[in-house]
Parts: sequence; structure tokens; C-alpha cells
Amino acid sequence: MARITLNGVGIEAQEGAPLVEVIKKNGVWISNLCYIDGLVPYAGCRSCLVSIEGARGLQLSCTARVSDGMVVDTEAPEVKSARQQVLAIINANHSDRCLTCHRRVKCMPGDICLRDDVVTHRCLTCSKNYRCELQTTNDLLDMGFENVEPWALEPRTYYQTEQPDPDRANPWFEFDPQMCILCTRCVRACDEIRHTTAITLANKGYTSRIAFGAGGPIHESNCDFCGACIDVCPTATLMEKPNKWIARTEDWTSTTCNSCSVGCTISIGTRAGRGVIVKPDLVNPVSADQICVRGRFHYEAVPDKKRLQRHLVRRGPPGSAQLPAHWGELVEYVAGRIKDVVAAHAAGAVGVLGSPFNTNEENYLAQKLARDVIGTPHVDFSQAAPNRAAMKAVEAAFGTEALPADMLRLGTSDIVIVIADDLESSHNVAALRAKDAIVGNPAAPRHGTLLLVSPLWGEMADFAEPYGGTWLQPRPGAEAALVDALAQRAAGGQAALPPVAEGDLPRALEILGEAKDPGRRVSIIYAPNPGDAQAAGNGARAAANLSIALRGDSAGESLIVLPTEANVYGARDMGVDPELGPGRTPLAEPGMSFDQMIDAAASGALKALIVVGDNPLMFAPGSARVRDALASLDLLVVIDSLLSATAQAAHVVLADVPSYGKTGTYTNGERRIDRLHAAVAALGDARPALLALTDLANAIGGADTWSYAHPDAVTDEIAASVPGYERFGAGFGAWGKARAAVTPSRFERQPVSAASAAPAAGELLLTTGRTLYTSLEGAAIHAPDADKLHREEFVELHPADAAAMRIADEDEVMLVSAHGELTLRCKISGRVQEGVAFVPVYYDGGAVNRLLAADGAPAGVRLNVAEPA
Amino acid sequence: MTVDNEATLEIQHLLRDFRPQDGDLLGALHAVQHRYGYIPRIAFRVVARQLRLSEAKVYGAATFYSEFRLTPSPATLVGWCSGPACRLKGSEGVRRMLESRLGITFGENTGDNKLGLHFAQCNGTCEYAPQVWVNGEVVGPLTAASTSDLVQKLKDEA
Ligand code: SF4
Ligand code: SF4
Ligand code: SF4
Ligand code: SF4
Ligand code: FES
Ligand code: FES
Repeated sequence: MARITLNGVGIEAQEGAPLVEVIKKNGVWISNLCYIDGLVPYAGCRSCLVSIEGARGLQLSCTARVSDGMVVDTEAPEVKSARQQVLAIINANHSDRCLTCHRRVKCMPGDICLRDDVVTHRCLTCSKNYRCELQTTNDLLDMGFENVEPWALEPRTYYQTEQPDPDRANPWFEFDPQMCILCTRCVRACDEIRHTTAITLANKGYTSRIAFGAGGPIHESNCDFCGACIDVCPTATLMEKPNKWIARTEDWTSTTCNSCSVGCTISIGTRAGRGVIVKPDLVNPVSADQICVRGRFHYEAVPDKKRLQRHLVRRGPPGSAQLPAHWGELVEYVAGRIKDVVAAHAAGAVGVLGSPFNTNEENYLAQKLARDVIGTPHVDFSQAAPNRAAMKAVEAAFGTEALPADMLRLGTSDIVIVIADDLESSHNVAALRAKDAIVGNPAAPRHGTLLLVSPLWGEMADFAEPYGGTWLQPRPGAEAALVDALAQRAAGGQAALPPVAEGDLPRALEILGEAKDPGRRVSIIYAPNPGDAQAAGNGARAAANLSIALRGDSAGESLIVLPTEANVYGARDMGVDPELGPGRTPLAEPGMSFDQMIDAAASGALKALIVVGDNPLMFAPGSARVRDALASLDLLVVIDSLLSATAQAAHVVLADVPSYGKTGTYTNGERRIDRLHAAVAALGDARPALLALTDLANAIGGADTWSYAHPDAVTDEIAASVPGYERFGAGFGAWGKARAAVTPSRFERQPVSAASAAPAAGELLLTTGRTLYTSLEGAAIHAPDADKLHREEFVELHPADAAAMRIADEDEVMLVSAHGELTLRCKISGRVQEGVAFVPVYYDGGAVNRLLAADGAPAGVRLNVAEPA
Repeated sequence: MTVDNEATLEIQHLLRDFRPQDGDLLGALHAVQHRYGYIPRIAFRVVARQLRLSEAKVYGAATFYSEFRLTPSPATLVGWCSGPACRLKGSEGVRRMLESRLGITFGENTGDNKLGLHFAQCNGTCEYAPQVWVNGEVVGPLTAASTSDLVQKLKDEA
């Protein structure tokens, strides 16, 4: 620790820390237009000048390092005036002219300006007005009051330079280079924080400008729309396109992204109860100041008018219209019908589905409604099978499925082993942290090694071989066998390694040898396929075997199994599982799993199903049988914020609010508890699912009356009654840091069964998985712009297969499996292997599930080129 | 991951001996320019992949060095001097005239590829400032009006 004097006040600071960061942390404002905390200073803007006693001239506080006894002044008149001069030069090349006008506070757009006839070039008409760092910098440096106007006597370079055209050609960003002050923050954020390097400073000197990719529009570059560059841009150059002109927020609410199990915390800015902008929120230390395109932009994936605003009922025959109805009337109606079913058959004729997108509170009440009020043991969700298989495997290996591994360690691991289809797309910020471990940034370089096991090419693959790692590309379905063989070799055995399409097996074995060194920090990420239960079980067994072979008793510290959906672990912990009650206590008399419920509905044994947030017609493989089973129910009740395919099939739909309107908790992929707070107002008649569940429970009438006045009451009940959640009552402070603490008690190798069969001659192996851009909510209503970039609306084929079948890029093809057909366009792509076809799992609301069997295993498909109409 | 076509495969072949070490980037860009006379846009992706850089990094480097062209060389190349002497004597007006009369900016060609405009550095012939180089020949000192005449002449000759 060093002691320094800042503006006459003595403070303590870390010796060698960047001075500008210390100044800011001590609550002293300083202009620093090109600095990004934590990165190597660029020292290009010169707006951070300070005086340091003893130093010659003024110093840049971004390059200066704290040393004991330093005397720093940020406010002396000569310091301020130097910074004003610097800012004047920056302003001279910026399009605004009212930055320095003392009348600005009185000017309204449309007024006639007394000083200037160029009324468009001004903050008042700028989309970033009132939330702009350059503007704030001008204000705080008194540029207006002290009349620092460089262009009073000289021409302004801005008006002398031809401004490049703005790029508005993509759904999320607007890039308006005329506002750019060339601070290069965006370039460095993309390169050093995101490791994407989609932006560059092009040309030089006078013609310097920011460019994406090879100088074309943003969407033709490798940008993945994470928005990190937007967050650091001090001007209106890089802006979120949705709500760009109205995102002057009234309120910010911290909540959690629902689009994968990383559980990034986000802050939603609202105006009149509507979300208008999202920024990363620092609460979850893993995501910290980063999120992905889904967290940032999927809050507006579906327009308000497409959200359910009224409760619906269908009283007529199947296919007749669902008509609006009142809440109280519907609650009574549903309760009456449920009671009839129970009386006529048994409580076991009713099933309840929760969802891994629900909050813990909703799932807890859903299972409580089933078990305590209705008295049925049949509780599950439609995507449960693969997750259950994976968790049973982890439990068998370690004695617990809740491992202590923490993703906070991921970014500083020496060796990262990723077993996934495409981690970059499924769990973007986890992939980001893995890249951190491999390349770090120039201020904190890292040299981790990646061992990637993935049947598909994803961006992670580019971080393997160039950095001393390797990407092993097994056949889809053979990942587990490969990982298990690697585990056996790592444990000293002689297992034969199955062939791989790509990758350096000897190098992989070397990496495993290094990973056995207890001095190395090792993270193993396994992201099971969202549909294939057998593969998920095998994969988790193999991943557990590998982590035990490498890390012995501390294996549980290394292995992170990341489900596709946000709150799978919460759903399991709350007891949305036929075999487990809250706290995952095994039940003496297990109920039916989702698949069994579907079979029972088809056979007439299950009469009524209450679906809380789930959408089996999108998520469950083998859609045709699910559709028929749901159609044969006497009563299908759906609680959802969207008219999903399942909701359309329902007798009663209770309109819920979207996840951005909910208060509660999620349990993420490392069992970290994330907090959700309602940010947006309910639309129309919509009411949070917790109210629906409470009212239904009371109308059906169990032993107790439910009186949850606020979601926090449920959170507190969970803390009081669910083992492992004791610390997470509604009042706990450090939401992001808390985790359910558990200790593995066992370390057992388990056999991994052989990979599933190859497709028949003339068929391709159809695989599916989560892709980056398609939104959950858009997919749920089959929105034509569920994937706003329209990049994921294809079946991907290997060039050799396409050539053999004489299929050209973008041709329409029909995929035919034993279970169904699907017609869509094809993309000839280097991502898939020969003999394999890939369809994104959320494409057209889970259309690929039509082609799969109920177990979700990769299916053989024939390709027919569609006849031109 | 995009799939190769004939054009990218040809560039890939051209670059087969280049290795992912820093110094090779300029060499690779030179090789492409030598073959095609300019750097076609698709080449950035191929160079990037070969050298394990991002496309943006390659583009940034290519646009930093004025010897690289991103468009085919035009029949007549007009280089505009960006140097200080020319600047002081009004090269800005010359530039505006060039840009508006030709309808293109630096690094671009007219639609027929007959005339191109190039951002150039001082070559020491400042006594003719402000000046341009027409296929390397110094033309100057210019005024906005005489630049307009020059453009007309070049258009007529082209
Ligand atoms: S970018 Fe900022 S400083 Fe520039 S015009 Fe917009 S609000 Fe004003
Ligand atoms: S959005 Fe992300 S990937 Fe795209 S340019 Fe910005 S920082 Fe880079
Ligand atoms: S776009 Fe924004 S962040 Fe990037 S250089 Fe320009 S002003 Fe800076
Ligand atoms: S990484 Fe996952 S949790 Fe984070 S923003 Fe993206 S989808 Fe949301
Ligand atoms: S912040 Fe120090 S020079 Fe820009
Ligand atoms: S400045 Fe133009 S030739 Fe020297």
C-alpha cells in the first residue's frame, strides 16, 4: 500500500496501480475519454492530465502509476485549463456544436438557436443526449461556462471532413462514425475484453476511422453483437438500435438473463414500465461487466402486442376459438375441473409441468400445488430427461450432483477442457471466460491451454491449436466414448482412442498429463446436448471420469456441468422432478416423468395437465406424439406470457408476465443463486405465475391456505424449508456470491456405454443444439424474426454431402426421418462434419423435434430436394 | 465457418508458405497484391485464417499502409498529397474538387475503373504545392478551378 495525496487529501492506494483508476475510485471525477479500467492505457486522448508534484509538466494519469508519497492535483487551474484545451481539440472534430453553449439547458429541439443555424448538429438532437460521456466531460470541465470554443478563430475539422455513412443494416447496432472521436475504446474492448477483434482502427492520420471486419457492414464481420463496444463508447457512435431514441431511462432494475445457465446479471433500464435498454450488471462476478447478444437484446425479442394480455378459455370442441375470460372466473373453472378429475379418477390423473425458465419460486409453488394441494406425484418438465441423466451420473460419481466447482476460476485456469457442441453459442459468457484463461489481455496476459472436444466447429475451436491446445472433433454421439478413453489413458490405462475428424490426439494426451499436476488450475466444462438424454448421461459419466482421473479428490472443484436452459438446477432443487422433492430429497413413491405423463395422456390414464411456463411442443423431442397426447387430455391449463404452441392447444391459458417482470431467484449452472427483480410492468390483464398458482391452490383448497403476498414470501419459505437454500432468504445481501455449499463424498469411475448407431446408407445423421441468435421467446411463438439476423434458419450441411446430392447453398430441402418431415433451406457450412446435418434446436419453435424420437438421439434423415413450386 | 470457393482457394494456395508469425502479415498482403494488383475483399478472410489473425486486424494493417490498394488499379491513378506544405497552400480545396467531380473518395475508383483516387504522402516536391500526382507525374501548383480543369481533361482522355 502506498500513501498518496489527492487534491490535498491523504489516501491509501495500491503501489503501482494506474493513477486514473485510483482517482476515480476515490470519488474524484476526472476526464478519461480513452481509458478502459483494467486494460493497458492507450494514452491517445490526453484528457486525463493531472499535475504530479516533482514531475516535469502535466502527466497522463492513465499511464502514471501510483507510488508512495505521490502528490496529485486534478483541479489546479493550469490542470483544468490544459484539459479544456485538449477537449477543445476533440470537440473540434465532433459533430456537436451545443456542447459548449451556455443556453443548452434552455434549448428545446425545434427552437431556433441564437448562435448557430446548423440546428441538427447538437446534443439536443443526439440520441445519446443526457447519457453521454463526452457530454458529461464537457459539462464537468465547464467548457460551456468558460466558453472554451476552439472554432471561434479556426475552422473545425469536423465540417471539413467527408463523414462516412452510418451502418444501420443489422437489427441491434447503429454505427454512426460521424460522432466518433477515435478513442479506440471499442477496438480494445472487442480485442482485449471479448477476444473477438471484430473492430480495427483503419487508415491513418487524417483519414483514420473505425472499421468492422474487412471494412464492410458490421453484420458481415465476425462481430457477435455482444455490445461490449457499445458499453465503452463515450459518444453516440456505437449505440443500441432498439429504442435508441427513447432509452432515456427512468429506472434501472437488476435482474438475471434467462437465456442460458451462465445466469449473467443484467440491469434493465425502463421507461413507463417498458424495458428500453439492457446493460451488464456487476452482481454476478462471473459475468461481471459482460453479457452476450441474448442478454442484451432479447428483452425485446417479442413486441408487446405479441405478449399475452388476456386470459383465454376454450369451452367448445377441440379447434374452437380460445376466448378472453376473467381471472376469477377461470380460476374457479380450473379448480372445479381439477376437482372433478380427482373425484372421478384419482389425484394421479393430474400432472404438473414446471420449467427450467421459471424462477425457483414458481417451480417451488408448482410442485407444492401438485403434491400438497392436488395430491399428485407427477411433476416434471419437458426438457428434464437429459438433465436428469447427466445429474444422476454426476451424483453416482461424486455422491452429490451439486459440485463445488466455481466458474470464477475459469478465467484464470491453466488448462481448460471443454466438452460441448458449441459453447460459444450455447453459453457465450462461459466461453468468454475460457478465452480469458487462454489469451488474457495485454495488461494481464494468460497462457492457458484449451482441450476442446466438440463435434461441431464453434469459435472456441480457434482458441485451441494456435495457443498450444487442440480441438478434437469426434462424430456426434461419440464424444462420451472419446472423453472416457482419454480419462482411462490419463489414469494410466491403455484404452484405444476412437478416431477423430480433426485434432491432435497425442497433444491431447500431453495436455491431460499436464492437467494431472496438482499445481495447475484445471476447469472442465461439460455442456450436455439439450435433447439427447442417453448422450447426456454418457457424457456426464465420461466428464466425471475424466475429472476424477485428472484431479482425484479435488475433481469436484474442476467439473462444471452447464445445462442449456437457465434454471435447470433450480427446477431440480425445488423438486420439479418425479423422483425428488424440494432439496432433492428422494421420494418414496416417485411420480411419472414427462415422457411417462405423455404416454399416460395418450392412453387416457392422465386426464389433466397444468403447465407452468413449460412448452413441450417446442422442447420435447418427438413432437407428434406429444401433440396427440396433449389433444387427448380432458383439461390442459397453461400459464405462460406468450401464446406458445402448447398454450394454443390449451383449454385454459392464464396470462403470465415475462421473466423481465418477475421477482425471484434462479440457480445457475454452477449452482450460484441469481436474483431476479421485476423490471417491466405487466401488460393488460397478465399476472405473475405466482399469483396464478396461489389462487389456484386456494380455489382447489388444500389443507392450508396459501397467503403469499409478495414473491419474497416464497423465497423465504424456500430458505426455511429447502435444504441447501438456507442462506438465500429474500433478505440476503450478496446475491451473486452466494452458492449452495456442498462437498463431494465419493469419487467413482463409471462405465460409459457405446455410442449410438450410425445412420443407414444414403442418410445423414441429424443433430441439433442451441445457437447464439435465435431468441427463446421469438421461437416460442414461431416469430419470423426469432432469429433477427436470419443466420440460423437453415439445415447446415457439409460441402461434400451437398456436392454429392447436387444441392446448392440456400436450396430448399426436405428432411425426412422415421418420425416426421421438415422443409427448410440449407446452408453449406464448414461447421458440420461429412455425413452430418445440423438444425438449430429453436429453429421455427423447435421444428427439428418433429424429426427426432422421444429419446432425442441423433436420427438418420434422408434429404429430398424440394420440387420448385 | 464459411466454405471455400474457387477464389478463396486460389488465395489460400498463394499463401500456403506463410506462417502465423507477425512479420508475415505484410508479406502476405504483398503477395496478394502482387498477384491481383490489389487486395480483393475476400482476401482479408483468407489471410486472417492463414495467419490466425482476425479479419479486422488484417484490414487495419492493409489500410494503414498506403501502398496497399483495396480496389483494382485504375487506368489513371490520381494521388492527392496530404502533406503539410500542400495542406497550408489549400490542398483541401483540391481534394474537395477531386472528390466531387469524380464522385469517389480515397481508395475508390470510378465505376469504369478508369480513374482512381489515392491518399498520398509528401514526396518532397513541395515547391509545386498544392499538388497531385497523375500516374506518378507531379501536377501543381493547383487551385480548385485548375483541379476542375484537370479532372475534365482526365475524363476526356480516359
Ligand atoms: S455524442 Fe454526446 S457529446 Fe456528441 S452530440 Fe451526442 S450527446 Fe452530444
Ligand atoms: S459487439 Fe462485441 S464482438 Fe461485436 S464489435 Fe462490439 S465488442 Fe466486438
Ligand atoms: S466508436 Fe466510440 S469507442 Fe470506438 S473509437 Fe469511436 S468514439 Fe471511441
Ligand atoms: S451468456 Fe447466457 S446468461 Fe449470459 S447474457 Fe448470454 S445467454 Fe444470458
Ligand atoms: S485517458 Fe489518458 S490519454 Fe486518454
Ligand atoms: S506537402 Fe505536398 S508535396 Fe510536400
